[in-house]
Amino acid sequence: MKQALTIIARDAELFAGVAVFTLIAAMAAFGWLLWPVDPLQVDVLDSLAPPSLAHPMGTDDVGRDVLARFIRGAQVSMLVALAVTVLGTLIGGFLGLLAGLWGGLFDTLVSRIMDAILAFPPLIFAMAVAIGLGPGISSAVIGVVLASIPWYFRLLRSEVLRIRTLMYVDSARALGASSFRLIRRHILPQTTSTILIQASSVFSFSILTLAALGFVGLGVQPPVPEWGTMITEGLAFALTGQWWLGFFPGLGIFLLAVSANLIADRLRDIYDPKSAVGAG
Amino acid sequence: MVRFLSERIASAALTVVGASLVAFIILRAVPTNPARLIAGPFASDDVIAEVERALGLDKPIYAQYADYLVGFLSGDWGFSYSTGQPVYALIAERFPASAELALYAFLFAFVGAVLMTVLVSFTRSRWLDRFLRIFAFVNIGIPPFWVSLLFLMLFFEQLGWFPGPVGRGPAPGEAVTGYYTLDYLLAGDVGGFWAALRHLALPAFALALAPMGFLIRLLRANLLDVTHEPFVTVLHSKGVAPLSVHFRHILPNAFLPTLTAGGLILAQLLGGSVLVERIFVWPGVGTLVIDGILRQDYAVVQAFIMLSAFIYIGVNLLVDIAYGYVDPRVRRS
Repeated sequence: MKQALTIIARDAELFAGVAVFTLIAAMAAFGWLLWPVDPLQVDVLDSLAPPSLAHPMGTDDVGRDVLARFIRGAQVSMLVALAVTVLGTLIGGFLGLLAGLWGGLFDTLVSRIMDAILAFPPLIFAMAVAIGLGPGISSAVIGVVLASIPWYFRLLRSEVLRIRTLMYVDSARALGASSFRLIRRHILPQTTSTILIQASSVFSFSILTLAALGFVGLGVQPPVPEWGTMITEGLAFALTGQWWLGFFPGLGIFLLAVSANLIADRLRDIYDPKSAVGAG
Repeated sequence: MVRFLSERIASAALTVVGASLVAFIILRAVPTNPARLIAGPFASDDVIAEVERALGLDKPIYAQYADYLVGFLSGDWGFSYSTGQPVYALIAERFPASAELALYAFLFAFVGAVLMTVLVSFTRSRWLDRFLRIFAFVNIGIPPFWVSLLFLMLFFEQLGWFPGPVGRGPAPGEAVTGYYTLDYLLAGDVGGFWAALRHLALPAFALALAPMGFLIRLLRANLLDVTHEPFVTVLHSKGVAPLSVHFRHILPNAFLPTLTAGGLILAQLLGGSVLVERIFVWPGVGTLVIDGILRQDYAVVQAFIMLSAFIYIGVNLLVDIAYGYVDPRVRRS
């Protein structure tokens, strides 16, 4: 823990990424305590009010407080993106691990399925799943998870293929270690940094994709405030001067996505200074 | 080369089968009543029965899949139940608008990324390099539909430099290619060409930002990699002029991955301008798809999903073949 803090303190960009990310996470977790306003409370008399002390981010067309909706939106985005990242990591990572270890028919079969998923642009694939299962938050989550699985799969599979030929794995096997023990003690620990980096990229991807699904009406359904749907609602008022409706939720998506990306990139540099993307 | 070609084509064909199978499972096998899904919740029972017959839902599942694939490949994409027109005609009619937008976005992204990255790497300025990296990062994290909104608020509403969300602007008198800028040029109408370009500028630029960031990161990393190769040191020690080392030796060696990625980005743009089109009221396939989602007229959406996978696979194949043609090492492995 202390070591991690030292690394973060030394790297200005990583520090900025972690700081922004923590700030949004803290706002999602505790924001409602500091700003105890109901995000669903309609007040038609005070609709479309510009940002002021009473409403720091203004109010929307039916007088709901945009800051309260922004905070609730942060909770929704954070929780959903977290769920997507964890599920994608577990399922994709597990399949990749097995494919790399077992090879053979299992590997060929799963690899083919993954190629088929990768043949769709990721957003379009998530859209297809959301339509097939019926619009709503759970189908959106399943769609984004399925779209993210092939990336983990490919990564873990190639990592395992590389590691399993290393001398120390052979030695462990010769000493009689079981498959399970090989994975748990000798292969999995070697892949933690790779998984961590991939997970932060996927986090950023799922924030953007969920917002996009919300934007076209396939994600979180109203009246639950979600950043993507909030932008759609703000669209009608963007060119009549009520800029705050669409601006703030987009800013939230942007900050969260960029900070997660930044963390992924710096981690890649720190763990693997020779990797192509991180060079220099 | 023949063996390489046939291998690649066979692999692409296999992916087509896989992708269509995935689409079939998601859109036909999982929903409890695909006919209801396609015709929408407001369709009458007669329409549902009609769709059921058209989809062949009484046949065994493998026969349904075969019908689905053959139907798609032969251009039979079903009917849009909100407009009553065949989906193929609807999409074909709107394709040029989307394609023109995608091409300009690609042009902005590719040319911008290559110019900036090559210049910055040539100056070797650490300050500029840092700026470029942060610029790339910011671009990748921006939601395209949000940046479209910002562009409209700033460049249209506040400054009035560009036209607002009114689509492609006035149509040229004679539609030869369906691409407004090209049609105006063919007609020799410079004013019209300029107007079409001004309508394209904001949406194309909004679409270009994310791919531009991605390409900058890729090219920058590859340039750095090649710069540290021993052959570059040898060239320098032989006294080859820095300009020549940079542009004749480093750049060609570092450029291939960017070219590959460029192809895939073009494929994604062709199928992925859905969100930005909606904001600029662009009369393209994307707007059609979103209308389809909102009206729950899913025949259009389903065809679009398959179409974008096919474009993606096709462009991937072309890029693969081009790669093998340029780099003999790829061919042999």
